[in-house]
Amino acid sequence: MHIFMIIFPIILTVLFTLVTIPLLVWMERRVAALIQDRLGPNRCNIKGIRLGGIVQPFADMLKLLFKEEFYPKHVKQRIYYILAPGIVFASSFLSFMVIPYADTITLNDYTYQIQALPIELGVLWVFAFAGLGVYGIIIAGWSSHNKYSILGALRASSQVISYEIAMGLAIVSMLITYGSISLNEMVRFQGELLFGFIPAWGIVLQPLAGLIFIVTAFAETNRAPFDAAEGESEIVAGYHTEYSAMKFALFFMGEYIAMSAASALIVTIFFGGYQIPWLNTETMHSQMHLIIMALMAIIPLLSLGFIMWMRHNNSCDISRRRETHFATLFISGFVITLEALFLYLLISGLNTQLSSVFTMVLQILSFAIKVMLMNFIFVWVRWTFPRFRYDQTQHLGWRILLPLSLLNIFITAIVVVVLGV
Amino acid sequence: MGIKVVPRYGSSFKDKTYLWAVFTGMKVTLKKFTTNLSDTTCIPTCEYPEVQPADITDRYRGMHRLTHRDDDSVRCVACFMCATACPADCIFIEAEERLDSVDEKQPKRFDIDLLECIFCGYCVEACPCDAIRMDTGIFSIVAKERKNFVLNKEQLLKNRGAFGQENSLA
Repeated sequence: MHIFMIIFPIILTVLFTLVTIPLLVWMERRVAALIQDRLGPNRCNIKGIRLGGIVQPFADMLKLLFKEEFYPKHVKQRIYYILAPGIVFASSFLSFMVIPYADTITLNDYTYQIQALPIELGVLWVFAFAGLGVYGIIIAGWSSHNKYSILGALRASSQVISYEIAMGLAIVSMLITYGSISLNEMVRFQGELLFGFIPAWGIVLQPLAGLIFIVTAFAETNRAPFDAAEGESEIVAGYHTEYSAMKFALFFMGEYIAMSAASALIVTIFFGGYQIPWLNTETMHSQMHLIIMALMAIIPLLSLGFIMWMRHNNSCDISRRRETHFATLFISGFVITLEALFLYLLISGLNTQLSSVFTMVLQILSFAIKVMLMNFIFVWVRWTFPRFRYDQTQHLGWRILLPLSLLNIFITAIVVVVLGV
Repeated sequence: MGIKVVPRYGSSFKDKTYLWAVFTGMKVTLKKFTTNLSDTTCIPTCEYPEVQPADITDRYRGMHRLTHRDDDSVRCVACFMCATACPADCIFIEAEERLDSVDEKQPKRFDIDLLECIFCGYCVEACPCDAIRMDTGIFSIVAKERKNFVLNKEQLLKNRGAFGQENSLA
């Protein structure tokens, strides 16, 4: 149990990064399609089970795995050429390590932090590795020995100098507000209530810093509207023009992990992390019976709504009707099992240990839902806005976001000093 | 002539922050997304292999066919007009004498290489006796080997028009 509780957050990190990649690719393609009045990939199936096309990214990944390892002849520095995708992938992967997934939990007199790397550095660790990702892009562009790649690398480096300062300064004002650099402390702070009824989330306390941070986080993950480094309409594919097979896939997965990591960081700093609004850990411990009863009411309603939606939209031919039928059976069985479990918990009575484990599960779920919503916003923004030219990115970074974040620091510092918090 | 003054936007503070425009744009895409998600039947996409397109017009240039006379023999007189007009040089004709006193000449061989064909319809325009047409409505042409894409005279005669006018009008 002791070892499991130490490994558990690492398993969660792997789940939140590697397993969400296919989900995110699928979400990206389906959301893009629905925004543009299309259907998107929905035909890939295993024995007729389509799951709305979620099999497609797995098939794509298999294809990339089995492709030939190809090295262009003109690449002279092969070490850097091979190293670059690894740097991009590893740095975005590592920046996920310090995100807290749930409040600290005490089991058998041991206190565990649900954080893959239980250190107090928090924000500093994230920035160290998030900043390192751009080196991978620059090295990739340079070692590819291709003019489009080098232009992509140039754009990436011009972009990194324009947003990182504003990003850091936006965080500084949050550090002043929370009085800590530990992400765990920050999330615990956000469990309180402002004036007794508003959750004290970072976005409520510091809307300007939140806006600046979200904009710069988009730039940091190299996603639209700041994806000039891989602007396919101008410079083929930018820094990864010369890459294929799994080396390309590492760039591709690195981008999605970076997106997920940025979402996790935004959620942790500005949207209350794992906190469920109006229910911090102590309240959840004391009101566990009420929460379980509320869940028993909400879950069947939600799944009923989902089943009705599925029956309406996934029954245009025989194979889909069969799939819908199976999915209906599966979901109803799952809900019934869950209800039985809840009922058993209510009747047998909850001891403190069980109640804290249940709190942890609920908090992890809340965090996952928030991260997925933030990821949806990333996708939604990508399919709404055109790309920024890279001098426009610099203009935005240096002349708008930097003064605003400085101003925000001054105001925050004055408020903190005057109120003496 | 009056001068029409075009209002210039973008000078007010609200426009300069861009935030209003950003949120308006995001509202538009979100509305599209939610309407399409709640009812996918309103998406105009056609689930292709199961649902075939029903809106092919009679002017659509599909796979070629050779038309028939009223007695069901071939209408073509092997005049080589279509092969001459063809910009892709994909029509190969060999003529022979026609002995049944209906006409003087007929094609012995009439091959169309569909991989070379650009479906421009010039052969149909050039034909003086309405012997070649592209009104079969066949838009999906599939074969497993290259040589199967070359249609011979029998295959072309077997194709039927999809929009009436079975026989040649000439």
